[in-house]
Amino acid sequence: MYRYVFKRLLFLIPTILGVTLIIYAVMSITPGDPGRSMLGTSAPQADVDAYNEALGYNLPFFQKYLNYLIKMIFHQDFGISYFTKLPVFQEIWPRFLVTIKLAFFGIILSTLVGVPFGIYAAVKQYSAFDTITSLVAFFMAAFPAFVLGLMFLYIFALKLNLLPSYGIATFAHYIMPAMAISIPPAAQNMRFTKSSMLEAIRQDYVRTARAKGAPERTVIWKHTLRNALLPVVTQIGLNLGMLIAGAVVVERIFSIPGIGSLIVDRISYKDEPVIIAGTILISITFTIVMLIVDILYAYIDPRIRAKYAKLKG
Amino acid sequence: MKKTISYLLILVMLVTLFTGCGAQKDPAEPAATPGSSEPTGDKILHLRKTSSLQSTDWEATTNTTDMQVVWVQVFEGLYTIDEAKGGYQNCLAEKIDVSEDGKIYTVTLVDAKFQNGDQMKASDVVFSYNRAMQNSRFNYVTSMIDKIEAKDDKTVVFTLKYPYSAISHTFWSIKISSEREVTEAGDSFGTTPHTAGTGPYYISEYDVASGLKLKAFEDYWRGPANIKDVEYRIISEDAAAVIAFENGELDYMSDAPLAEWDSLKVSSGENNSLTKGNNIRFLGINYLSPTNNNILGNKAVREAIFYAINRDNVNIAATEGLGDPAYEYMPHEYVATSPSYLDGNFELYEYNLEKAKQILKDAGFTDADIAAGIDVGTLTTYGAGTGEKAKQAQVIQANLAEIGIKCEVYVAEAAQITPRLYSQDYDLCIFGDSGNYDFNNIRQQVHSESTGMYVVKYADPNSPLDYKKIESLVDQGVATDDVAKRLEIYTELWAMVMDSATILPLVHLPVGIVWSDELDPGGLCPTYYHIYNFKWVE
Repeated sequence: MYRYVFKRLLFLIPTILGVTLIIYAVMSITPGDPGRSMLGTSAPQADVDAYNEALGYNLPFFQKYLNYLIKMIFHQDFGISYFTKLPVFQEIWPRFLVTIKLAFFGIILSTLVGVPFGIYAAVKQYSAFDTITSLVAFFMAAFPAFVLGLMFLYIFALKLNLLPSYGIATFAHYIMPAMAISIPPAAQNMRFTKSSMLEAIRQDYVRTARAKGAPERTVIWKHTLRNALLPVVTQIGLNLGMLIAGAVVVERIFSIPGIGSLIVDRISYKDEPVIIAGTILISITFTIVMLIVDILYAYIDPRIRAKYAKLKG
Repeated sequence: MKKTISYLLILVMLVTLFTGCGAQKDPAEPAATPGSSEPTGDKILHLRKTSSLQSTDWEATTNTTDMQVVWVQVFEGLYTIDEAKGGYQNCLAEKIDVSEDGKIYTVTLVDAKFQNGDQMKASDVVFSYNRAMQNSRFNYVTSMIDKIEAKDDKTVVFTLKYPYSAISHTFWSIKISSEREVTEAGDSFGTTPHTAGTGPYYISEYDVASGLKLKAFEDYWRGPANIKDVEYRIISEDAAAVIAFENGELDYMSDAPLAEWDSLKVSSGENNSLTKGNNIRFLGINYLSPTNNNILGNKAVREAIFYAINRDNVNIAATEGLGDPAYEYMPHEYVATSPSYLDGNFELYEYNLEKAKQILKDAGFTDADIAAGIDVGTLTTYGAGTGEKAKQAQVIQANLAEIGIKCEVYVAEAAQITPRLYSQDYDLCIFGDSGNYDFNNIRQQVHSESTGMYVVKYADPNSPLDYKKIESLVDQGVATDDVAKRLEIYTELWAMVMDSATILPLVHLPVGIVWSDELDPGGLCPTYYHIYNFKWVE
């Protein structure tokens, strides 16, 4: 098992290198430079050039990329924001934590709602509950988070005056954004769990368990659910990654200072250090989430555990 | 056992998450501030900011929303701007005497303290100006200064290289900061809250993640402000800002979203104002563009383009019809030295389709050319996020199609487009200019020394106007402080620019302001509002 985890951890290295390389390449081909952004339109070109020179902006692409990697890996230095002159890490870390918090709320809500509803809908297939939840899930999966966000703002903040419309100061501030961000994945989870359960229910081993007289509860929880969970776990992991990377829309609507909105804001100023570091952080998180999903796979599926135990033996 | 541990872990994770949502306070409180009060329980004024503050250093703020805070509430210059009355007024300068040759300005300072308790001295003024003069961003307002000296603690002497009547703009633009505090902070100045300004408020909390708080400076030289605590809320989305205002979470909103103006008018009752802003959109034509065998080098084509543009349509697209068609480079209501279109001294290019078509025909374009579409290249603009300029571009594209001129529209982020405009890498473009309070600012747009700042390059052998004369007029304009004389010079200058058919003013963006019933905002200022003038309604 440790071997498996180690192997997956090793995959992080090429992933991060690939991500940094792509982001660097993209930022390099877009026009504009930090000197002009920082010094403004009225600064003489000579001063702009000197500013860019001091930042190392004019270095050849691979040299610039290599310098960045060395600083990042050996000194944990992501550079200084062109826009605020603050260390990049100081800028992105608090915002990253906010986004992570929001994404976790979202994933917990979407899982707590989507998975049980999916299981029950599968167990009670063709019942009224199944029909209604499937219909609702169908609609909710199609609702973009920003529409839900604006709807919630209108209903809960403006009309009912129950929840604050802005910020992250208290738990109450997180309710609407977490709901907005979690409903579409909850609907997806529900549909995914249901179809996965239905597939598992039809398997021979379930029929065998029933034929052997196992109680229905055992059949569902022990034999069906455990097998049906594998693709659902993958889906939840993917959802978490998408929530982190895609929280920007909800962050902007609810004025949440997350990393997504920071990156979008700084694109306008071509604040490369912040854009690159923010994207790298999101990529690393996504990769780690997928690693956890893989480990959970091994935890849920004895076949994977057995495979690595065999290799060890 | 395994299950129990799993459940416990999940519980711990949830508790951690939920408790982590408590209010966070920025640890970066400013040092003890003599003369300032601690929280008094007074009502907090809530304002909107569309993005987080770039810096607490006035020199490092580059956008208007940051300047609204740092340039007006926290720092002060020798002059201030009074937009409501249209002009500059003394601020930290009690009086200014000008020598007969117009080159020496002797400034007597008011008796003011910095927020850190230090007395403001002439040496702080000299320090602030010298610091700004080393910053390229302020070249345009400091390049005429030869030297600055402190005569005594209360008197500063500015010696100019040449007479420069637009110095008022310099006195407003350069803010005075505490030499001691700025020097002590070194390179980190601007990254944390400080007390280095003389303004009515100091920044008490500055967190790029969660916002900005101000506190009233109790020893402010004009007397303490009525409202003691101010909190800026970072709300990027207009729809969210409107809901926050209607929900009572914002007390005052300048630059209110125009798309929601009707709704805001209803919710604010009588507490709203819509005024012509000091912010104009222009169409620029690069007559040097090689596109289609330098078709834009043909003045007739440029004139036809200008006559084909329906400013009313552009206004509707850009401002929901709440703005005003523009005919001037700067609004004459704000700038005393700006030529007014009402005087009829320059070409306005009023919408006239027939005239536009006739100009093309007179220039030798056949019906077949017009039917096929005369290709003038690409209409480029920026601000993909707001879409206001993009909408104008689409309207202009449709207007031009009516006279048989075709162009593509290209919209991208400002960081990508503006360098292209400043290096004349475009065919047609929509750009903006704002915050001008002296017509001399047109120097950036027309003078050859302003490379990297102008959109149309006039100093060229193929120039459509006598650029040497234009540059001479710019210099003459600041050589006299006689407003009538300056107006005459600038009228001649602007008439030449308009005659070249290279820059067409399109629309004045309006400024919508709304405020709550509980607030009396004093005299309204469209751009640089003064919280100092605000008070709560009893």
